[in-house]
Amino acid sequence: MRISSNDAIALIDANNFYASCEQNINPNLRNKPVVILSNNDGCIIARSPEARALKIKMGTPYFKIKEKLNKLDVAVLSSNYSLYGDMSRRLMNLLKNYCEEIEIYSIDEAFVSISRPNDKNLYPWARNIRSLIYQNIGITITVGIGENKVRAKIANKLAKNIDYSAGIFDLARTRNENNYLKRISVDKIWGVGKQTSNWLQSKGIKNAKELRDMDENEIIKKLGIVGKRLQLELKGYKCLPIEKNKKSKKEIQVSRSFGTPVTKLEDLTQALAIHAIKASEKMRSQNLQSSNIRVFARTSKYSSQNYQRSAHRKLINATDDTNSILKIVVELSKEIYNPEYKFSKAGVLMQDLTNSKYLQQSVINYKSQKDLKKSAILMRTIDLLNKRFNNNAITWAITKTPKSWTMNKNFLSRSSTTDIEHIPTIVK
Amino acid sequence: MDSFDSAIKRFRIPLLNDSVSAGFPSPADDYTEENIDLNEHLISNPFSTFFLRVKGESMINAGIKDKDLIIVDKSLIAKPGDIVIAMIDGEFTIKRLSIKNDELYLKAENHNYPDFSFKNHIDVQIWGVVIYSIHSYL
Repeated sequence: MRISSNDAIALIDANNFYASCEQNINPNLRNKPVVILSNNDGCIIARSPEARALKIKMGTPYFKIKEKLNKLDVAVLSSNYSLYGDMSRRLMNLLKNYCEEIEIYSIDEAFVSISRPNDKNLYPWARNIRSLIYQNIGITITVGIGENKVRAKIANKLAKNIDYSAGIFDLARTRNENNYLKRISVDKIWGVGKQTSNWLQSKGIKNAKELRDMDENEIIKKLGIVGKRLQLELKGYKCLPIEKNKKSKKEIQVSRSFGTPVTKLEDLTQALAIHAIKASEKMRSQNLQSSNIRVFARTSKYSSQNYQRSAHRKLINATDDTNSILKIVVELSKEIYNPEYKFSKAGVLMQDLTNSKYLQQSVINYKSQKDLKKSAILMRTIDLLNKRFNNNAITWAITKTPKSWTMNKNFLSRSSTTDIEHIPTIVK
Repeated sequence: MDSFDSAIKRFRIPLLNDSVSAGFPSPADDYTEENIDLNEHLISNPFSTFFLRVKGESMINAGIKDKDLIIVDKSLIAKPGDIVIAMIDGEFTIKRLSIKNDELYLKAENHNYPDFSFKNHIDVQIWGVVIYSIHSYL
């Protein structure tokens, strides 16, 4: 299991990704403090370096800090996922060219594997990839290098915290490793959750070095194989492989928070119907069909009412047909509705997905086959029209009645990189 | 459905018509190539290429007109003579990167617009290099 010293793993992530995307495509935001709000404009989820410098904290609810932001002339934006998604796609595709394997870990971070050159020095590689990504898409990245994923994560943290690192740190090539590991407190180690962290602290284990050197048996007794693996990775062994081909999605979920809490059945049904239309479209675009359709709704995590319900329907024949799915979702919404609760979020899940290309319909008579074909053509036409004339050129009537619950996105920037109608204008 | 499909692919121009009268296969079938894909021919670095829209006539002498669609490749290093997009004072600007007396400046391709000197500005960023402009004659 001890790794050959030629293999390295790097954790590459984008700095202030959401804010960078916005600043990069809007000259007006350049060098200005920018904050991005979570879905529904709830709280601050991203800050530009300029906003960090003003000591604006992550997670602060927007309403609490609104006036201060205004006074400090901070630009406030709703999260624009079509922009961030597109920039992420560009970033990951560029990274692919400069490493052997890549595992996209989140919208703005990836584990990559790379073999070391003869002199074992990966700093030139990291510097090159860093300037290249900046030149190509205007995004600054941090490169943390180690023998494995856990140590690459730690290296990435160190690269961010050490001033002279210039965004690159190689934990496998440092002389005073112990000093660096001491700087990483246990709760900041990848894979250590809150409970584990509390337990470790109670045992007097405060940082990565102490966890690495902790009694192995004690770890195994409390945390099992997961804990042992973590300790081995801290020691430099490779236990967690790069997952190149993430298994195909097992389910498709579309869910949203409500702008104002929902108490009426009509509103809940309408929201679920809109999510179902979107989920069906997503399935068709990936040639998938579902044979288990699930809906759920819940009250706010912060409210004293704690209510959550889901309901599902198993199907004999998998489907991607919006009409059939809508019928089911409308029925299921009645099952989860409860007039006593204020719902803050609802969603639909398409589960037990199968590839529609290889699909076998169980009992098919001539008529139902004809109907199936008809519905498939109808769905395809709708998808094509919506693609051609932008979203929702054609949709279902239920989506068009007034909505009292939609999400707040009061400060949304434009789809500058993905929609020809929204591309930036050059004024001079 | 097929004609609809091709209408969807906005940048694709069908080379050959595949509707064939019943009975005999078209003698051209074997020679049918894919469509011409303008994305493929105009864009060599898709992950660093962005689209912008021009407003105004500041680049008229370079053949770039109001409302033209501009294709920008950020991966290219700008050199003198290139038409570039710069971020200046909170705006996107299009100019020709030029050199005079060993000094770089941004030249407007229209006498009614001022050139831009880097001297008095600290915060200028060359954002990308213009690789094509697309003008509609309709």
